Amino acid sequence: MGDATKQERVKHVFIWPAFLLVLLITLFPLIYALVVSFQSIRIVPPLPPRYVGVDNYLEILGSARFWGGMQVTSVIVFASVALQYAFGFAMALTLHHNIAGASLYRVAFLLPMFLAPVCVALIARMLFHPVLGPVNELFSAFGLEHIPFLTTPSLAIATLIVIETWQWTPFVVLLMLAGLQGLPSEVFEAARVDNIPAWRRFRDLTFPMLLPLSVAVIFIRLIEGFKIIDTVFVLTGGGPGTSTETLTLFAYNEGFKKFNIGMTSALSFVFLFVVIIFGTVYLAASQRLMRRYQ
Amino acid sequence: MKALLLATALVPLATFAHAECTPDYSGVTLTVSTQNGPFIASALKSAAEKWEKKTCGEVDLVEFPFSELYPKFLTAMSQQTGDFDVIGFIPAWLPDFAPYLSTMPAAMQEGDAWLDIHPVYRERLMSWGGEIKSATMDGDMHMLNYRADLFEFPGNRQDFKAKYGYDLAAPKTWDQYYDIAEFFQASEAVKYGTAEAYRRGGQQFWYFFSHAASYTNNPNTPGAMFFDPETMDAQINNPGWLRALEEYKRGLEFNPPGALNNGSGDVRPLYAGGSVAMNIDWADSGVLGATEGAIKGNVRTAVLPGSSQIWNSKSADWDKFDNPVASPFLAFGGWQLAVPSDSANTEAAWSFVAEVTSPETSGEAIVTANTGVNPYRLSHYENLETWGSIFSANEAESYLGAQRASLDSPNVALDLRLPGFFSYTEVLEIELSKALAGDVEPQEALDAIAAEWNKLTDEFGRDKQLAAYRASMGLPPLNN
Amino acid sequence: MENQSYRRFGFLLGIVWLIFCLFPIWWVVVTAFKPPIAVSQGATYIPFVDFTPTLQAFRDAIAGLRGDFAGPIVSSLLISVTATGLAVFLGAMAAYALVRFEFRIRLLAGLVFGIVSIGGFALLNQTFSVRVPYALAIVLVTALPLSVWLNSLRLPGPVLKNDDVTFWFVSQRMFPPIVSAFALFLLYAEMNKVGVRLLDSFPGMVLAYTAFGLPFAVWLMRDFFTNVPIEVEEAAMVDDIGRLRIFFQIVLPMSKPGLVATSMIILAFIWNEFLFALLLTSSKWQTLPILLAGQNSSRGDEWWAISVAALISILPMIVVALFLGRMMRSGFLAGSIK
Repeated sequence: MGDATKQERVKHVFIWPAFLLVLLITLFPLIYALVVSFQSIRIVPPLPPRYVGVDNYLEILGSARFWGGMQVTSVIVFASVALQYAFGFAMALTLHHNIAGASLYRVAFLLPMFLAPVCVALIARMLFHPVLGPVNELFSAFGLEHIPFLTTPSLAIATLIVIETWQWTPFVVLLMLAGLQGLPSEVFEAARVDNIPAWRRFRDLTFPMLLPLSVAVIFIRLIEGFKIIDTVFVLTGGGPGTSTETLTLFAYNEGFKKFNIGMTSALSFVFLFVVIIFGTVYLAASQRLMRRYQ
Repeated sequence: MKALLLATALVPLATFAHAECTPDYSGVTLTVSTQNGPFIASALKSAAEKWEKKTCGEVDLVEFPFSELYPKFLTAMSQQTGDFDVIGFIPAWLPDFAPYLSTMPAAMQEGDAWLDIHPVYRERLMSWGGEIKSATMDGDMHMLNYRADLFEFPGNRQDFKAKYGYDLAAPKTWDQYYDIAEFFQASEAVKYGTAEAYRRGGQQFWYFFSHAASYTNNPNTPGAMFFDPETMDAQINNPGWLRALEEYKRGLEFNPPGALNNGSGDVRPLYAGGSVAMNIDWADSGVLGATEGAIKGNVRTAVLPGSSQIWNSKSADWDKFDNPVASPFLAFGGWQLAVPSDSANTEAAWSFVAEVTSPETSGEAIVTANTGVNPYRLSHYENLETWGSIFSANEAESYLGAQRASLDSPNVALDLRLPGFFSYTEVLEIELSKALAGDVEPQEALDAIAAEWNKLTDEFGRDKQLAAYRASMGLPPLNN
Repeated sequence: MENQSYRRFGFLLGIVWLIFCLFPIWWVVVTAFKPPIAVSQGATYIPFVDFTPTLQAFRDAIAGLRGDFAGPIVSSLLISVTATGLAVFLGAMAAYALVRFEFRIRLLAGLVFGIVSIGGFALLNQTFSVRVPYALAIVLVTALPLSVWLNSLRLPGPVLKNDDVTFWFVSQRMFPPIVSAFALFLLYAEMNKVGVRLLDSFPGMVLAYTAFGLPFAVWLMRDFFTNVPIEVEEAAMVDDIGRLRIFFQIVLPMSKPGLVATSMIILAFIWNEFLFALLLTSSKWQTLPILLAGQNSSRGDEWWAISVAALISILPMIVVALFLGRMMRSGFLAGSIK
């Protein structure tokens, strides 16, 4: 008995350092933002803070710009994460089965992830330049010259999805590959001996066993994807009008250009709320899915 | 005698370079910050080397992306971190920065070097709230660049006269400007008519302002371009602004395809590379064209086109003038240096500023490639011979002449400088890009901007904003 | 036969993806050697055929025309490697605890912590104008033991389990960075005023980035640890080997692919982080992304200069990726031998 409690107690040694550090760094920002979100604080021009209750929140919920940003962000995030997962998992499977040149691929596939998003956006601006870019040449070959990729709302969003997919598929590849490598090979050997076809091995063994990891990977991509800002900032600036403005870009403009701190904090909490809702729904759904496979 | 000694000690001269440490700032390290190089940063770097040699101090130059300079400086200064000793920024931010800046030492506000600065900068752009808070280190305004080889080619001149009925020359009005743009767009001599910036975040609204100045900066109602100087009501949806927006948008026809993506940075190589007959830009296009471009020797610069009709916001009618009135717009207004009051080394910092802006050091910077520094001192316009390293004689004459004429113009139009600048320009950029993309009608866009501007003014305090606006336009305070 | 066609399909997919993946990178490499004329006249692809390559852009970068690269590279490397190491280490420990032990946290205790800390801070700071760092310390020292003590009581209400703790970690990454970066800047600035230098310093940056990377580390490592067979550990425990030793000598080595993958992901995030770096550094510890973001200059998009900067920023990462990729490969081999 005494041994068991001693064993139990050691768990605190494991978890407290991480817990304390995260708490220390995130507690103050959270408190600060919460307090300020009920105030009207502008640093520019400097006006004394005023308590305004839930006015900031009401203004956000009533603003067309917020709902527009919400829509743009959701479209980009869901479309690009779906593509990232599909391509990323497929690539991880391919690499896992050690196709010719796999070691070269392994490094090459990772590169996009290590480029700063702002850098990627600058490069994309060259590639998608409507006159001087290679993508224009590609489309010109099909008779579609000078397509305004970045100044038409729907095309700009499609371009952003492509860029997000390009940059973050490596993330999925890397993790799914690590997951595949961690799977016990005995099970697969047995399945192979039993002559179970490959697609069924995938459906009945690989996919279910990697489901928890898949859930985690998609979840992280969703959370991170919701914060998309640099690419949009550099490529379209949110334009034309606000037709490609994402939520974080909206918050950035309010907070860092206009220094409307109260509004930005309220916006952040609304944003947090939205992400948590999405996250909870997503996790609940994936729990059900996992249970079905158990 | 004493005054002379003082003056020589304060105005750093190259002859003292050998004397050790005058004034002595050994042990002092200044953190100087501005946008990423080479423009402006490289000028500060070479000035820093001189200053270090002279004073034994040290300079640490830190660069940030242009789009992040404003938040970076503002957060650091408002929290008194003491991170920066000298900051390089733009006049539009001065109203927001002024509370955190130290005032220029009185000794720097006198003497020949002081009087040598063009009055528009010295008296207008460097001051806020009645005090000198910053030092101009670069002069800037929008100008029209054109190509001499195209404009002087007899064939072009003949064809143009035949078609439009007057001589081909630098346009005096925007109507002429569009005639010329149309002419060259159709001609075989060059690919496109003109180049202007249309990209959101690419200095777009300054181009729009340059058009608007000609129709709204009425000499009969001074300072009424952006707001009514008595009530602070937004003027941006009046017929003068509407005409400017319609014309600015019409210009897309004579720009290269994809021009909606072009920022001011893209407009420069288009001109210097010989793809367009004209462009509108700050002084940088001229230098780029004369040094790196395919059009060497043919760079010509003129004052922005004007108009013989200007909207009068008081009488709500167009005023007609016999001759076209030039309303050259001082877009941007050039880079400035200032010393935050939380700096631990204000004295040394101002001495560094004095070095950068001294007639001698700045005189070198304006003729050095890639410094991005353009003339702002009277001596800069006068020393024609120093320009030989960049321009041919004809080029130098038109380049400097246009800048000087813009500044000296009786109806010069000053840029918008107001507390909360970004709040005002954000809605402007959003609506402008909608109108340019054809999503909304121009009038609709302008009405939306005006409504938001009025709302912002009320939010920030109408009286305070009005007082600030009048000061920025050089009008005396209202007495009531 | 069937296997063969899958293999062929996989190969094809690999090639297509390789092109999609590498074309932009190829474009960057090529563009770095382009003279302006090869850019402004339309797209060009192959040096010596389409255009005459030049080293001018590299010379400009080395001469410091585009800012000083050496300093930021060193600070970026030091900060991101240290923070990644710390985050993965601490995160793996926490993740292990979350996999192998049961945590029960009463919602009520958590709520009390939230209310006491937020209310206490607001009271101390706004009403008694206690300086932010002191107020924060006081609040932490009172609220934390209080809620730990409350947690040991039999309080009513729901009980949070391991999954919820994990979710708490990850939820720290859900808050948009604009506000947290600004608030963290305020906190650091306040620390500055009481004499603790965190702004523009190595400890300050590492602290922020470790906290930044920790949630991922916990979340990802948890999934990798679940695949480590518990039998090995049980055997060790029978031999009376301490948990810490089990963790370091058995569990960690067994989850090497996961550790490597997690490190690379976190490294990539920290290496590219922009907003915190912008606000928390000013000169000495400026990192690379700040320099990169400034490369679209007032001279227009000088594509060659942007490309050189991109290459400079990615080179150290290629080295790291190669190194980690090797470790991954050995992990892979170990897996196939088993």
